[in-house]
Amino acid sequence: MAEYWYFQPGMEEKARAFFAETPKPEIMQNFEIRERDFVSAGVASAQIKYALKRLGVPSEILRRTAIAAYEAEINVTAHSKGGSVTSNIYSDCVYLIFKDCGPGMEDIEQSMTPGYSTADEMVREMGFGAGLGLPNIKKNSDVLHIVSERGKNTVLEIIIYY
Amino acid sequence: MKNRTYFHALKLITENCTGCTKCVRICPTEALRVRDGKIIFDANRCIDCGKCITACNFNAIVPVTDNLKEIEKFKYRLAILSTSYAGQFPQSIGYANAKKAILKLGFDDVAEESMITMQIHKLIRDYIYTNNDIRPILSSNCPAVVRLIQVRFPDLLPHILHIEAPMSILATFYRDKICRETGLSEDEIGIFLIVPCVAQVTAVHQPEGTYKNYLDGAIAISEIYSHIINDIRDFNEQDTSYELYPKGLSWAISGMQAEDINDGVLKTMAVTGIHNVIEILLKIENQQLERYDFIVLNNCVNGCVGGILNVENPFVAAARIRDYLRKSQPCNFYNETFEKMYHHGDFNVIPLEPRSIMTLDKDIKVALEMMKKIDEIDKKLPGLDCSACGSPTCRTLAEDIVVNKADISDCVVLSRNKKKCSCHKQQNKEEV
Repeated sequence: MAEYWYFQPGMEEKARAFFAETPKPEIMQNFEIRERDFVSAGVASAQIKYALKRLGVPSEILRRTAIAAYEAEINVTAHSKGGSVTSNIYSDCVYLIFKDCGPGMEDIEQSMTPGYSTADEMVREMGFGAGLGLPNIKKNSDVLHIVSERGKNTVLEIIIYY
Repeated sequence: MKNRTYFHALKLITENCTGCTKCVRICPTEALRVRDGKIIFDANRCIDCGKCITACNFNAIVPVTDNLKEIEKFKYRLAILSTSYAGQFPQSIGYANAKKAILKLGFDDVAEESMITMQIHKLIRDYIYTNNDIRPILSSNCPAVVRLIQVRFPDLLPHILHIEAPMSILATFYRDKICRETGLSEDEIGIFLIVPCVAQVTAVHQPEGTYKNYLDGAIAISEIYSHIINDIRDFNEQDTSYELYPKGLSWAISGMQAEDINDGVLKTMAVTGIHNVIEILLKIENQQLERYDFIVLNNCVNGCVGGILNVENPFVAAARIRDYLRKSQPCNFYNETFEKMYHHGDFNVIPLEPRSIMTLDKDIKVALEMMKKIDEIDKKLPGLDCSACGSPTCRTLAEDIVVNKADISDCVVLSRNKKKCSCHKQQNKEEV
């Protein structure tokens, strides 16, 4: 099993406390993400963004959330056997959990390297798979936590504070 | 800002309204509701796209434009034609005669948007190259799109091209020129736009953004059309004394406009139809279209030729204009004063203020509570989006209930089920 943590400077303590407690969200949204369904890919992240927009979340946060959520949704669509996303909205942050049904990653550090990609021909032809998905998620997240096991599945968690 | 009232180029004639909700369902900003069987409208949300006017079968929503009589108030009258005007008449009538006939309506002179659109392409390219940090840059000449961005995508306001719209530039140009040449004062000169859509009427009466200049009125193409057709009968042959600008007519067709701005290096795109524009703006918000340099966005199908105040079908009009474009000689329009004015910043506009309708409440805690209530009510509603309650969707009814603008009993489906249920119970009782 591989595990990866990333914290924006100064966020670690706050985030660890959050994970230790995992408070009940104010609003929770759930979406299914289907394997290779590029037609609906992006619908879940659009809904997540729409809710945050209605709540008056600052535009910069909105933008970062939209990008991170979209990239993660595409990853589940393009690289996994399908999965789901849960968006937990709090009064000070949004906490996203992407779970897929495999096949999992061998080496997360390697996957985080810009340009590294395992995408096949079909995915590349669709204009995805440039190896920038995970680095882009990291860039836009305050906290990124990935747990993955090759042959099993991946769970990717993102926190963005307002 | 809250107290500001917005001008809108449409009028509700309540007595004609049957409460059919066709307009409610089509409105891209959810500005319309049917309450107590009649249409009501939220002026803060309306972007003057005109979709409701086209949708209404009962003449309950009608465009508001200026009457041709308005021009009589002025000593000197100038008409500025939208590029779509040339597409309204068959080739047997001809573009030159259609232009000449404008004078018969009582105008002293006639100018055309197409006179300067070729020059504007150069300025737009210059703007694109000097603003490398903004991608994509969005066209600004469709007032409905600009208002859509203000209310639904305020974050994208900096992406809008900050050069005045061609008709607004022409107005400045001509007011100054006529003053000098005739010795008349500014308010003795009436400058009127001949427009293809209600959004441009609004832009004239509430100048802001890229329509910064005050104009004296906007007259619908459809209003003058029958006069023009009548007057043209008196013309014997094609008049050749009129200078025409066929190359510049490409602005009436959004695909052509994007093509003309493209110098072979830039990546441009054209999107028409308000719902398509919304889809694209959502993508731009997610930074999925950063590789595009310039995107032409138009409310109407095909661009300005699709405006609801035109007479001719948008595809027929576009075909005619394409024909003029094909037959015209390539021209290198260059005007030194014009160029100087641009570099001097005369065509710059003040960035527009957001008018967001998206936020439920300024306080996120209050907004969260509201959204929780909306979610709860939404779950109870049937999810048919039938609009029979008078709100566009079940979700919007839930929102309307939370802000006390509707009641759950407005849901026709729920009410019917309840009635059935109670009937059923009563029947059971009787059987017992």
